[in-house]
Amino acid sequence: MSTLLPHIFNGLTLGLLFALIALGFTLIVGVMEVINLAHGSLFALGAYFALTILGGGWIEGTAVGDWWMGVPLGARYVLALAFGPVLAGVAGMALELCVRRTYGKAPLYGLLLTFGAALVIEEAIRVGWGTGEKSLPLPQAINGAVLIGGLIFSWYKLFAAGFALIAIAAVWLFLERTPYGAIIKAGAHDSEMVRALGYDLSRLRSLVFGLGSALAGLAGVVMVPIWGLRPHLGVDVVIPAFLIIALGGVGSFWGAVIAAIMVGLAVGITGAYASAWSMMSMYLLLIAVVSFRSRGLFGRKSALEV
Amino acid sequence: MSRNSLSRRSFFTRSGALIAGATLIGPWKLNRAYAADKPLKLGITSDASGQYANSGASDRRGMMMAIEEFNAKGGILGRKIETVHIDTETTPATGTRVAERMITREECGFLIGAVSSGVANAISQVAQKYGVVYLNTNSSSPSESGENCHRVKFVWDGNGTNFAKAAVKNSIDSFGKKWLLLTNDYVWGHDTAAATRKLLEQYGGEVIDEILVPQGTRDFSSALLSIQNAAPSVVAAAVGGDDQKALRQQVAQLGMGQKPAWINNQQDWPDVYGLPLDNLFGVFGTTWYYKLDLPGVADFVKRYQEMYPDTAMRVPGNVFYNGYMSTRELLRAIERAGTTSNIAVIKQLEGLKVSAEDRMQHHDAWIDPNTHQMQQTIYLATANEGTQDTDDMFKILTSSSPQDVEDTDAAGKCKLESYDDTPTFDA
Amino acid sequence: MITLSDIPPRAGAWLTPQIVVFTAILATAPLWLGTIGLYQYLGIEIAIWMIYALGFNLLFGYGGLHSFGHGAYLGIGAYAFGLFQHHVGVSLWGGLLAAVFAAGIAGALVGAAVSHRRGIYFALLTNAYGQVFWFSAIKLHWLTGGEDGLLNIPRPTLDLGFARVDLNDNMALYFFVATALVVSVVLLWRIANSPFGRVLQAVRQNESRTAFVGYDVWWFKWAAFVISTLFAGFAGGLFAMAQESAYPDIMSLHQSGLIVMMVLVGGGLVGFWGPVYGVVLYFVARDVLGTLTETWLLWYGLMFMAVVMFRPEGLAGALHVSARRLPFRAAPRRASVGPA
Repeated sequence: MSTLLPHIFNGLTLGLLFALIALGFTLIVGVMEVINLAHGSLFALGAYFALTILGGGWIEGTAVGDWWMGVPLGARYVLALAFGPVLAGVAGMALELCVRRTYGKAPLYGLLLTFGAALVIEEAIRVGWGTGEKSLPLPQAINGAVLIGGLIFSWYKLFAAGFALIAIAAVWLFLERTPYGAIIKAGAHDSEMVRALGYDLSRLRSLVFGLGSALAGLAGVVMVPIWGLRPHLGVDVVIPAFLIIALGGVGSFWGAVIAAIMVGLAVGITGAYASAWSMMSMYLLLIAVVSFRSRGLFGRKSALEV
Repeated sequence: MSRNSLSRRSFFTRSGALIAGATLIGPWKLNRAYAADKPLKLGITSDASGQYANSGASDRRGMMMAIEEFNAKGGILGRKIETVHIDTETTPATGTRVAERMITREECGFLIGAVSSGVANAISQVAQKYGVVYLNTNSSSPSESGENCHRVKFVWDGNGTNFAKAAVKNSIDSFGKKWLLLTNDYVWGHDTAAATRKLLEQYGGEVIDEILVPQGTRDFSSALLSIQNAAPSVVAAAVGGDDQKALRQQVAQLGMGQKPAWINNQQDWPDVYGLPLDNLFGVFGTTWYYKLDLPGVADFVKRYQEMYPDTAMRVPGNVFYNGYMSTRELLRAIERAGTTSNIAVIKQLEGLKVSAEDRMQHHDAWIDPNTHQMQQTIYLATANEGTQDTDDMFKILTSSSPQDVEDTDAAGKCKLESYDDTPTFDA
Repeated sequence: MITLSDIPPRAGAWLTPQIVVFTAILATAPLWLGTIGLYQYLGIEIAIWMIYALGFNLLFGYGGLHSFGHGAYLGIGAYAFGLFQHHVGVSLWGGLLAAVFAAGIAGALVGAAVSHRRGIYFALLTNAYGQVFWFSAIKLHWLTGGEDGLLNIPRPTLDLGFARVDLNDNMALYFFVATALVVSVVLLWRIANSPFGRVLQAVRQNESRTAFVGYDVWWFKWAAFVISTLFAGFAGGLFAMAQESAYPDIMSLHQSGLIVMMVLVGGGLVGFWGPVYGVVLYFVARDVLGTLTETWLLWYGLMFMAVVMFRPEGLAGALHVSARRLPFRAAPRRASVGPA
């Protein structure tokens, strides 16, 4: 059992990060009833933006560049962690402008459009940052390994899990305790009514898309040292996101978090026994859930059940 | 009649414009002056995207340098050498399509370039069909010169068996008998692991487990945890490309680089250049190093730096070296044969012998006519601890002569197509 | 936006002028393919993909069921063909039958699992099943050769009784595939314009109403799924012959998405010939733009997005609309369409 502990811990960390991704995804699906297949690409985009902010070859030689590289890595990392997701959010809002044309039409068009957008973003990443594998330089404080009870744990994964917890708590606070959060929850429940009450629905949608994308981007920056950074990164993220909201129910906060942890644990534990098949366990789980309980654990009837 | 009907006039104007535009764009095929100085086209099939993008770029630079040198001397047999490059995307299906296109549409006389053995296999199937000579520059799966050999294909890299032979016996003696295999789940990985297994049996080692990782794996944590639990004396890793980079980073992060001992088979230079030195744990193999104390090496490095001042890699490595050497030998073979007819060139290559000095290696090299693989010196190296020069990452431990590390099984498995079965092809 | 239902069916017609023109273009292709800068192997690939796309459109356009995992059946057909050649015997018809059969069985099983759904759940379920197949193809090394693929698949000789045709020559294989394509076109045309096809369109337009009228909607969706996978398997077998190998790559999400894009851009939602245009556009773009720039997929993706946003009828729709506007064309029968 004790040998399973690191795998469980891995799974938990993965689950918490999945929760961040899924929260962004479920916000978008809940409020706008758009399945954003480009969510994974925005996840990758956030990480790439963070890479650029952290600095490197491209600004070397300029006065500003040299000064920036002189700033300690820890400070640069914090700024990258903060602004990478912001830029991803901006990209998300730009995407929402395109998606607007498909509101009111059959959901297929939104699906297809975001699928095309995912492809475009991936190719744009290739053009902007190249196709090779990159890595995010990490400050020494969160790097390295620690021996606990004879088992190896990675400092960075501890940091990632902790950070994800804080981020999830922040999202919860935002949704539950601020007026903006209330508007978003109302919009997810009944967007027409929200509009009738006088709120600018298109601004709301744009902001929600931006917020959802920023969450994805944040998850990206944190996940990259575990998963690597390459243009194709986004593809592996959309399916877990969809699985989680199908399992947890659309528009449900706790549904997304709990389902995410379940999925993460499933991947982590299958990694212990049949590591080659661990990614596939997600697809099998998705098939099982959608076939037997498509409303998920906590969900209401949603746009998914057209 | 509806309001937005086209008038007859506007219809003809529009279609006329369309037809005029079409004639401007096509036909694309240019009329060449079929004089004696029709240029020789070489098809470059290196990967520009996917897991082996970095190595593919290095491979290509090596080829281009050799081609430039020949063009500066007036080309080959009086013909200028031109190149066509199409990205094979580290995907075998794309490799097939690219090969077909290069041969039938681009009229390439020779195909050069491979890092991924899956892609190399796909290309060589097509090449054999048409009789076009194909140089497998950098893919080191033992099956390339074994069951997947072809009359038109020539392999220029050391393969997994060669490196394993160089490493295994020494490692059993130094580190221990209980080995664990970490294998990339494709041709090169499997074949290399199989070769290692056989050698272990031969020298009295024992394989306690094998972990397969798919290509494109980034998270090695479960594999590393399993390794930690199994506690072998040695881990023999056959993991390549970007996967290797990720593996190295994670092993370094977890501090697992010293115990167990790591044997990494061949280490391609593009996969480690720029990584921090503690990522370069274990013992690994290579066919060439830029700081070998041999005549010609320094000059070669200088030529590289002059031709490619802007690349991130400031010094060339084995991938570049193999790309250069193979192209150079092909062009020399064409010159000796006096023709580009494929059978003549093949025969020249089959009898090829290159001196150590010409190869910038420690031992003479030759092409085995039964398997079409270049038999060359194999070096074992570790990280150059304590170095001040960030480029000088390797410390060469030993050099083995080609005879000592020869892949003796390959000749049995390789069934080259006969000369009669190979279509004649002349570029 | 016009839909497939707006184009009146030609009940009873096995051959239409379009089919004849199409056959003529295919037959003469080897003559002009080289002059426009393409090559024979590409012609074979395009013809194979047309079979695949037209079969797919029966499900996608006519049935309104958006399968995002269809590449799996193409791949299963390819592997089945290859495994037949390796383990059972070198035979053209045997291999192709094995390909069709294997894909059809897979399609029947998956179809049974998904046919009670539609919309987004249908799309994502088919995607998930497609991924499971893709993953299995990579993992089941002993069967499929894994990522390295199944190599050395021979091209069996075509034995017509009175003549034997060696298909190793690309030209010969092209004519074989082109003939198969014409037969597929005729078959699919008949299916689409048969009562079955009309009910399928009704299911697309309004599933509940069709059920109320008395049709077994589940059966129609399932049958459309299976038919599309049969054609995909057939195309897969032909592809294994063309490549002389089978790889798992065509089963990936990327490739499954590409066929959706091709069919949509071409106008599959709106016209029978839409997939044909879409396939030609994609392959020519890939080959022509691909040599100019390594980022051609970016432009194709942007074009796809623009089409979805502004012209979801795609190429076939645009052509249909401008053809209607020609003044010297006889006014089309308006019987089945409402006020213009």
